[in-house]
Amino acid sequence: MKLNKIILASHATPGACAAEETAFKLCSKNGASLYHLLVVPDFWKGMMGDDWLNNAVSQIRFGNYVENQLVQEAATELERLSKRAKQKGIPYKDDVRLGKPAECLIDACNNGTFDLCIIGSTRPKGTEGYRSRMDMKALTQSLTVPLLVIPHPDR
Amino acid sequence: MVYTKKHPALLIMGIIFVAIAYMADSGSMAGLIKFLHAKKYVAEMVGMGYAFGAIGVVVGAWHMWGTHTEGNMDYYLSSIAGAIFILLVAMIVRWYLAPWVAVLSKSMGPVMGAKYLHQVLGLNYVVIGILAGIIIVNVFRIPEWAENGVRLSRLGLKTGVILLGTLYSLAELQSLGKLSAIMVGFFVLGSVGMVLWLGRRRNIPNSMGGVLSAGMGVCGVSATVASAPVVQAKAVEIAYTIGTILIWGVGCMFLFPVVGHVLELGHIQFGAWAGTGILNSAQVAGAALAYQPDGIETLKVAEIFNITRVLFLPIIVMWLAVWYVKHEGNENTAKVNVGAVIFEKFPVFVLGFILMFALSSTGVFAPANHYKGKFFDNNVKASKLLKDEQIALLTAEAPKVQRDDRKAALDRLIQNKKIMSLKDDAQIRGLANAKVMSKGATKVLKKAHKAVRHTAKKIKKFRQWITLLFAFGLTGLGMQITISAMKQAGGQPLVIGGIVGTVKAVASLIVIVLFVREVI
Repeated sequence: MKLNKIILASHATPGACAAEETAFKLCSKNGASLYHLLVVPDFWKGMMGDDWLNNAVSQIRFGNYVENQLVQEAATELERLSKRAKQKGIPYKDDVRLGKPAECLIDACNNGTFDLCIIGSTRPKGTEGYRSRMDMKALTQSLTVPLLVIPHPDR
Repeated sequence: MVYTKKHPALLIMGIIFVAIAYMADSGSMAGLIKFLHAKKYVAEMVGMGYAFGAIGVVVGAWHMWGTHTEGNMDYYLSSIAGAIFILLVAMIVRWYLAPWVAVLSKSMGPVMGAKYLHQVLGLNYVVIGILAGIIIVNVFRIPEWAENGVRLSRLGLKTGVILLGTLYSLAELQSLGKLSAIMVGFFVLGSVGMVLWLGRRRNIPNSMGGVLSAGMGVCGVSATVASAPVVQAKAVEIAYTIGTILIWGVGCMFLFPVVGHVLELGHIQFGAWAGTGILNSAQVAGAALAYQPDGIETLKVAEIFNITRVLFLPIIVMWLAVWYVKHEGNENTAKVNVGAVIFEKFPVFVLGFILMFALSSTGVFAPANHYKGKFFDNNVKASKLLKDEQIALLTAEAPKVQRDDRKAALDRLIQNKKIMSLKDDAQIRGLANAKVMSKGATKVLKKAHKAVRHTAKKIKKFRQWITLLFAFGLTGLGMQITISAMKQAGGQPLVIGGIVGTVKAVASLIVIVLFVREVI
């Protein structure tokens, strides 16, 4: 199977980093371009919880602060992958979305022409990190692109 | 940006409110009301139904068919849909769902002494309202047309706290203020210190220790929101902390009333415990109303503790800011502007509470002579004295009374046809609450009590509005608690938060049981 364009869903976790390695290898081998999708989980929308004591100034300050943090995290991650792709001479494009990982990936795949989708497997239970796992059932039911799941390095 | 959505939802909700009011008023839902034992809510159904129904219909028609342009009118009127949505959910729970749960629970018989399951679990309109909110946001999601108005629940709660200021006497405020300052001061500073100490031992970053200590120590999510930018917490640290606090807060809201019932804590004891031991301030109010749904005494105590906690917030945020700069001082840490921190974090609504308390103290809501002289007044209206047949009923049932002090107070009531002293009033109230006598005789006792001491009309209205505002506010806040946020609980914050939260809850309970008495 000839691969021209690969979509990689990655957000710097150990599982996603394992998926990155495979994506770079396959891109180099096939001369394919890499489309990097980074999803900022939408649970952040509810992260103000049931706060009612703070005034609007404190709430806006908190919202701006969290948004800046997430933007910085995403920018660092995109820059890291972009540099690696440049070093290897792989054409690279990024896409940052806010939402549920599976929904965003399905949408990105439906709106692009990809030959392969690569993701890391969900992390083992008890491993630290955001609780925003890829909904594998939804993904496998709706994805229109062949899917490659790379095992988590701790498995 | 235009906020108003062209949607029929508000219009439909307005019609539902009007329909409820009409059916309650005309008696066409009398059977249902009788089945639910919800007669006490009929006046609310009619009054609120017509009032908010009219607002819903008028503004809903404008939403649907009006012309919407960017501006203040669009912004403020767009929020009505969300506010009416919360109100409809809260009132359906209060008028129908909670009474139905009570009917089901009563049909199962008492489970703890004379208490039914719903009483032990605190399953009343407040807790069910919060649960309904949580279910709506997590299962169905908040509709787009309601999103802008759901935030008004915060305004409802703050207004409720401001109105609560009318219900305190100076003596109450002094005693409760002193008690809360000691309890909150000790446990807030203690838990902040404990988190920072545990954090050092477990090698967590200072930013994580800072944001977690504020959340665990002061007032949960609100403190986390206030302190996160100050201690430059990372996104994952904020997520862990807020998740941990939300899970802990919702769990405590259900657990505390059960423990309170098991230990038979008084209203002051429970209010003080909830106000100290529950992390999240919204759930303090929820637990207090869960413990005493038909009265406001527990809420009064718990809210004084809440206010004391929130007054500690600027101080703690400032302390953490100084602490963080001291430990992490580098080019990224900004200099702390103490004045700006205090000014920005000061809870302005507390000033409203103080203002209402001051107004109430002038007697503007209850005349100064309202509570005085009724015991000794020889000119009490004949209609307020007990009738001969009522005296005969009490005389016939007097042998049922075993306690000597109550027996003596009852004898004096029978002789004088009215309560003769403050002490007798306390005994007669105790006798009525103990339900030793028949329903009819208990009703007579309550009438006798009411003749000498009853709440002033305006204060009664305030109590009603406070209850409704809290029901509205807490249901709306329930709509902002997402499972996905709670699921973020984890990492070191979960471990440290679990330890500190448990120590705080247990230690404050021990202190309260040992040292706090029912009379303030």
